[in-house]
Amino acid sequence: MSRSASLYSRGFFIGAFTRAARQIVLVILFLAFCLANYTGAAAAQAPTYKRGMKFVTDETGRRMAIPFSVQHVVTLAPDLTETVYALGLGDKLVGDTSFCDTPPAAKLKPHVGSPQTPNLEAIVAMHPDLVLATTSINRAETADALLRLGIPVFTSDPHTVRGMLDSIARMADLIGAHEQGTALVAQLQSRLDAVHARIAELPLVHALFVVWEDPLITIGQNTFIADALRWAGAESVIVANQNWPQVSMEEVVRLQPDYILFTANHSESNKDHELNRLRAQPAWKALRAIQMGRVVRVDDEITKPSPGLVGAIEQIAHELHPEVFSSDGRGEGFEHRTGVRMEFSANIRQERECDFCGL
Amino acid sequence: MSSGAGSGALALPQPVRVGASTSPVRLKVEQASYAYAATDRSAPKFTLGPASFEAQQRELLAILGPNASGKSTMLKLLAGLLKPLSGRIEVDGVEVSELDLKMRAQKIALVAQESELLFPLRVWEYVLQGRYPYGRRLRFESDEDCLLAGNALAQVGADALRDRWMDQLSGGEKQRVILARALAQQPSLLLLDEPTQHLDIGGKVELLRRLRRLADENRYTVIVVTHELNLAAEFSDRIVLLHKGKCPRIGTPAEVYERELLEEVFEAPLEVESGYSGRPRVILRATR
Amino acid sequence: MRPLTPQRILGTCLGLCGVLFAVAVISLRMGAYPISVRDIVSTLFEAAAGRREEVPVEFWQVVFGLRLPRIALGILVGASLSTAGAGFQALLRNPLADPYVLGVSSGAALGAIVSLIVAPHTVGAIQIAAFIGAASTIAAVYFLGRRGGQLDSPTLLLAGIVAASFLSAIIMFLLTMVTGSELRSIAFWLMGDLTAPPPTTNVLGWLGFLFFVFILAAGAMYTTSSDLNLILTGEQEAKHLGVNVNRVKFVVYIAASVLTGLAVSVSGAIGYVGLLVPHVMRMLFGTDYRMLIPTAAIGGAIAIVLADTLARTVVAPTELPVGAMTALAGAPVFIYLMRRRMR
Repeated sequence: MSRSASLYSRGFFIGAFTRAARQIVLVILFLAFCLANYTGAAAAQAPTYKRGMKFVTDETGRRMAIPFSVQHVVTLAPDLTETVYALGLGDKLVGDTSFCDTPPAAKLKPHVGSPQTPNLEAIVAMHPDLVLATTSINRAETADALLRLGIPVFTSDPHTVRGMLDSIARMADLIGAHEQGTALVAQLQSRLDAVHARIAELPLVHALFVVWEDPLITIGQNTFIADALRWAGAESVIVANQNWPQVSMEEVVRLQPDYILFTANHSESNKDHELNRLRAQPAWKALRAIQMGRVVRVDDEITKPSPGLVGAIEQIAHELHPEVFSSDGRGEGFEHRTGVRMEFSANIRQERECDFCGL
Repeated sequence: MSSGAGSGALALPQPVRVGASTSPVRLKVEQASYAYAATDRSAPKFTLGPASFEAQQRELLAILGPNASGKSTMLKLLAGLLKPLSGRIEVDGVEVSELDLKMRAQKIALVAQESELLFPLRVWEYVLQGRYPYGRRLRFESDEDCLLAGNALAQVGADALRDRWMDQLSGGEKQRVILARALAQQPSLLLLDEPTQHLDIGGKVELLRRLRRLADENRYTVIVVTHELNLAAEFSDRIVLLHKGKCPRIGTPAEVYERELLEEVFEAPLEVESGYSGRPRVILRATR
Repeated sequence: MRPLTPQRILGTCLGLCGVLFAVAVISLRMGAYPISVRDIVSTLFEAAAGRREEVPVEFWQVVFGLRLPRIALGILVGASLSTAGAGFQALLRNPLADPYVLGVSSGAALGAIVSLIVAPHTVGAIQIAAFIGAASTIAAVYFLGRRGGQLDSPTLLLAGIVAASFLSAIIMFLLTMVTGSELRSIAFWLMGDLTAPPPTTNVLGWLGFLFFVFILAAGAMYTTSSDLNLILTGEQEAKHLGVNVNRVKFVVYIAASVLTGLAVSVSGAIGYVGLLVPHVMRMLFGTDYRMLIPTAAIGGAIAIVLADTLARTVVAPTELPVGAMTALAGAPVFIYLMRRRMR
């Protein structure tokens, strides 16, 4: 069907316009692919090996090149910061997270943000030779992103106390502090052995380790907390493969653990109040352990795979098996059994992100 | 088309295209029938036809009947939305149901119940959409499109509404604009499905007068589906009466409006009189 | 009577691109690492000239390793989500439709979570699995959303909501079975994360591929923009005007879903952008889809780049997730838009 000249020519114009547009788009894409291949190839050649570097595989299976001489270290978790200071390498630490507060000197170091969302540019700005991360609190994406930038990230993956000691030794080697590492590990191991010697013959105490009160969350058997408890002569009444299983109070009442363990944060909060509060609640009242006051406030260190963990193990062992430790007075930090000072804070989540707790 | 493109504002273009049939018969329905059945094998629940009639240029044809008489089915057949089971329906000599969508829209404009507009739209944008059947899929309107749309608005007397927002129009104004969009399609056939439903008596008369004018002066072929007996009698040239799917009578109002026939079809006590203008009038007989 | 012309569309788009360019430049400048504009520009020049060795390693890391990929990804995701939102609003005849209403993002999330459980350290597994999840959901909802063999808007909406709820339930179940580190990754992914490392080392090639898919899908949707204008005045009316309504609905459905799947598999679920940007662009430039689709795309890109820049500078050094930023900014905009409509 014929059309007037203007309509037909307008149609032609549209056709030409879209054809031209299509051609331009194709040309741009072609150029983009060329550019991509060029710079992509260049990026793939990012220096992964230079003079003075060695290849290392970390505990998650990632391979990277780390300089022989490590002068600048950035840590992405509080327990790693603690380890670095325990090795006496506080001077080499150029950056840590805003949650790192043990030892207090760590609070004064430049911060890169939170362990879960560290600012990558801030890390780059610190010119680190090595970044330390851990699977217990950091995201895999952070480590991947830093590796892609060419910054080596050693991620530890602690599941047991022994494993934690091995990690400390390995990290010490990487930072060039072999002697300090060996010494620290030996010291920690001897303390553990001392505890073990006393309680090896005793039966394991059945305990419930409370990560979060409501909903009631405890630890699974594959966590290093569970392993630490075993070193302290206790065993979780809940057996689960998940790391942070949620359980019902009924189940706990049925199992009637001998002891209830709570974590505390660093600030002092009400002590006897907490025990009375729990005694008043119908759910907790049914537990014999609450009725008998067999509640232990565990130092925060139990949640971190760091040197302080050993101290927490010692504390728990003292609390649970006082009869074999009564001759040692370890003084501060360890509560006598009869005057149980229950320090429990419900503010864990506000103080620190509770990444152990189900979202 | 040259007269439309080159002349000034109100040159009313002829809706005849070069190459189209120049005979006055626009619509030809030959023994067309249709049937609805619950499934393919059960007996048809409703059968329409077979019906035969024609409509010419400048004619206003009314398809009249009570509810469930098959009016909407007939309309869908005429619009090509349904394919007749037997017979043919031709517009300008071409079988309607075999046309592709765009060609069909160039020949037939269907004005049906309107949907609610989702986003605000100006009147001229709305009417310009009537030019869609002409041109490529992704199209930009040409000057000619704008001219034709403007003419369509003029034909319905809605030129002043051009820059108003669609949702600010009154019922009657909106009716006119919808009609203008249909006219912008430059159809051979203008189909309207019960267009007077939501209008008061003044609106009904105004609309039918306009349709009459469009048929007479602008040479459209207008087909109105309605159940309004007196309006159909007053304004249409011929009437196709439908009753339970059958066509008992086709002819001028005077021929169709016979008391017994109407009473049987509409199942109401009616009286047929001769009206003021010479056309029949239907009134209710006293029912006491 | 001023009908839309290609020139006007191009002009508006060029203007918006200018705004996008400015925003991108500002975003490139901001960050924790101290680098001046001069250094950024010289890094770009040396890169273009192929002289990578001239550039200090850290400048390269920051500009090409961190900031540019993020901005590029932001542009892609913003454009995809806004275009998809505009498409769904037309398809479902609902101004409150957003890219997630048909459950595509839940499908992508499920794919991502399954991949985190099954193959946590495989690079790129998340993106691929998320896309597979999205594609499966698209197909399932399509077949559920038909009535009489054709896509029917209310049925489609119902099918999408049902799919989204069902998938969410499965996701909840899986979340209870997942350990700490995977949970963290999932939580961040679900909130929208533009920093996810690409599945290959060839970052530009990957970005180029994504843009290619974007142009294909958005282009396909654009070819139906005239049809969409008509369909918005009523499906029956559009059919009577000669629009092949079924075909248009199919194309728009596939294109919008592909765009959503693309955005979600790359960066998680970022909300509000797909819903609001089309409305804002409508207010600024009119409701004609021939203008709306390109302006919504560019507008969405601007919105995401802005949101991301704010997200990483407002509470430095902590980074907020982009999704949180768009929600914070999006809610007031949404309220404002709703009140305008009431008037």
